[in-house]
Amino acid sequence: MTTTTDRTASFAEGLEAAQGELLSCRLWEEIWRYADSLSDETPVVAPAAYEQLQRGDLPDASDPLRSIADRAVGITVATLAVAETGSVLLLEPAPVDRAVSLLTRHLIVAVAEADIVDELSDGFRWLAEQPRAAAYATFVTGPSRTADIERSLTIGVQGPSRMTVAVLG
Amino acid sequence: MSASTAPFKVRYKRSVGDPDLKPRLLEFQRSWRESRDAQVRRLEQRTERSFDELRRDFAAVKDSTLERMDDYIAEFRGNAEAAGATVVELSTAEDAINYIAGVCKSRGIDLVVKSKSMVSEEIELNHELEQRGITAIETDLGEWLLQLAEERPSHLVMPAIHQKRQYVAEILGKELDREFDPDDIPAMVASARDGLRGHYLSAGAGLTGANALVAETGSIMVVTNEGNMRLATSLPDVHFVTAGIEKLIPSWADAERQLQLLPRSATAQTLSTYTTCITGAQPGKEMHIILLDNGRRAMRDSDVIGDALRCIRCGACANVCPPYQVVGGHTFGHIYTGAIGLVNTTFHHSIEDAAGPQGLCVSCGACETVCPVAIPLPKQILEVRHRSHEAGHAPLWERAALRLWAKPRLFHHLMGLAALSSGLASLVGLVRRDHVRLPLPKRLRWRSIPALPLRSGQTLIKSRASQAAITQSQAAGQTVDLFAQCLADRLMPSSVDSAARLIEAGGATINLPESQHCCGLPAFDAGDRATAGRMAKQTIEALEGSDNSVVTPAPSCVIAMQEHWPQLFSDEPEWLMRAEAVSGRVHDLAAWLDGPGRLPDGCLTATVNGSWTAHRFCQASNRGDPGARIDLLVERLTGDSARPLDEPDVCCGFGGLTSLAAPEVGEGILERKLDCVAASGCDTLITNNPGCAIHLRAGANARGDSHETLHYADFLAARLPRNL
Repeated sequence: MTTTTDRTASFAEGLEAAQGELLSCRLWEEIWRYADSLSDETPVVAPAAYEQLQRGDLPDASDPLRSIADRAVGITVATLAVAETGSVLLLEPAPVDRAVSLLTRHLIVAVAEADIVDELSDGFRWLAEQPRAAAYATFVTGPSRTADIERSLTIGVQGPSRMTVAVLG
Repeated sequence: MSASTAPFKVRYKRSVGDPDLKPRLLEFQRSWRESRDAQVRRLEQRTERSFDELRRDFAAVKDSTLERMDDYIAEFRGNAEAAGATVVELSTAEDAINYIAGVCKSRGIDLVVKSKSMVSEEIELNHELEQRGITAIETDLGEWLLQLAEERPSHLVMPAIHQKRQYVAEILGKELDREFDPDDIPAMVASARDGLRGHYLSAGAGLTGANALVAETGSIMVVTNEGNMRLATSLPDVHFVTAGIEKLIPSWADAERQLQLLPRSATAQTLSTYTTCITGAQPGKEMHIILLDNGRRAMRDSDVIGDALRCIRCGACANVCPPYQVVGGHTFGHIYTGAIGLVNTTFHHSIEDAAGPQGLCVSCGACETVCPVAIPLPKQILEVRHRSHEAGHAPLWERAALRLWAKPRLFHHLMGLAALSSGLASLVGLVRRDHVRLPLPKRLRWRSIPALPLRSGQTLIKSRASQAAITQSQAAGQTVDLFAQCLADRLMPSSVDSAARLIEAGGATINLPESQHCCGLPAFDAGDRATAGRMAKQTIEALEGSDNSVVTPAPSCVIAMQEHWPQLFSDEPEWLMRAEAVSGRVHDLAAWLDGPGRLPDGCLTATVNGSWTAHRFCQASNRGDPGARIDLLVERLTGDSARPLDEPDVCCGFGGLTSLAAPEVGEGILERKLDCVAASGCDTLITNNPGCAIHLRAGANARGDSHETLHYADFLAARLPRNL
């Protein structure tokens, strides 16, 4: 039986291999303090995360591109995380949530430590059991990347160039 | 006409004339190999299953889905439509183009943003939409660069891998009207963000492919790294999905199986950055899923090629392909590139489009070893070659040469003549280090012409006393039929004689079956099955009529007899039986020396040559044939360790007729091999297939490399005690 600590350690390893960063914390307040310290700009918060956080800028859902694009810091929340791959599962039926996870420069994803599953297959099993969840679901593994020019790995192409997963223990 | 759409010969010339392509692709193949192997090892450890088990499991899922295609399409359609999507099944490229253009016209859409889709490349959608007044913009960075340069992808996963950064700076500069420093790749990458973002806002539709269509929920799964796919499916009001019907899988559990194999095989990642699952149309938006046939059902129902529909488009087959490394995907393929492109082009495009690059494949079999769905690509390429030959696409010189080769007497006389000429050349001082020093045209100068010894291998054996036994192997007292192999017998006769001596050293007696000639491999390889059949029958007649084991120093002939003969005689049951009776008796020499004719450990310790290393005949190695590990055999018998050699199983570039038909490919692959050999610092290079030995020796001679090249039989036999 895998312990929570093992799972978190394995998750951290996978995330780091994908150029993502880990932040261990106990309270949403800590996530906010970290996010707020990154830039002078107020972090933009996906509606999915706003419920718990109750702070930051809520984007304008009618014009996500303009209100979110290239904002310094964005915060969203994941349904679960996968220890095997270092991925987080984002359920984003609303385009405005997607815009936060895709268009901000530094993305912070909160996930409860208890929601880290062992393997990708556990994540897919969960998805298969929730018929509505797969309306628009994405396993995100690290910041956006490309190696299309001479195979030179470049982080941050059309999506975030930094990604921090805040694991709430 | 752009670099990627010109006729094959033009594309070939362009790619061999590009000095940067080979080194860049070599670096790519090597680094991919290293990281992919590490990923696969980790996967095997974690799952406690071998790569082969994992891939065969998923291949079985694909096979059973393909068999019941219509049921799964119905299930997928039902679920996707219940979630608000429109699902259309279309037969041809034209149908798909008309459908997409029709929806666009009726919604007043004149701009479509695209995420990467090989099916849209397959049907040349961008070009066709342009003709109908609709602009399609590629948003994957690599695809966008291709679009700006009016090119096709040269790799399934790294579409712009052929482009140099200087060239990228030039085309980006032109598009965005600013200067780019070619050495500042991050700045060029960042420009895609600025250059493309406006399009997402003004586009009426987004178009994506799908890595999988999940029947149980009617969902699509798309794997990407950049994030453009998520933008293209979030902002516009209409989402088109273009996918081949073979992308169907039953369940999410199968999707997960596919993901174990896909990113690891494609980009050597554990998982790509974004694995996106979309089910149905989003509120207030439209989703049109186009399930395209375009030759797929015909492919499924085709005997040898049906398994190619398992393909998950990872590109691994190109990443290990030696000729791909030399010429790149614009030449090695059509729109689909790499080994899979040599196969599926026949069905999605035409046999004419597939014919050009057929002669470039060296049949090394590396592609099959890494294919995550175990597609028997080498066998399928030979089938396409056969069809291409039937359709009249074989070059005239090749047909003439094979016809000549098929006539044992004529072949024998011509070889005799060549040997005589070599003798004369030697008399006038034109032969040095076993090669004739005659001026060759520039494109052939990378190898020397081997001088033919006057006496054939069989003559050498007949003219000497038998080798004294050094051990009583299982085969002691038996008579062994030696199949000399046509090439070795004349071009490397000593290896045939040495093979015989090693067999005799185990206590067996050699018999040389009369009128033996050629197993038919060269003709089979060229797709000329009529000639191959004639040659095979002649060999069967020469070898049947005894129960003796047949041993040959040429593993390629063993493969031809055991694998190709059954294909040649599938419609001739009587010949099939005779063929199998003979091929069942055949042993590769190395396997023989470890098996029935086993020589004891450390029996050949006499020091003859200095340090050595081994190039292992690629085809036998990639198949895992018994006897393929000649390095282990030689170490066991001599007690002498091999010098480490990089890429010991990668092809040497001989490739049967390839090095004749496409000398630059033979040269490029040989260079890669000889550079590894030089780096090993060996005095002697040994190898197991006579063709490879002749090729490696002629190439080393032309380069002036100092090492000696030997068939391992010669290397070993030189250590046998000489008869008193």
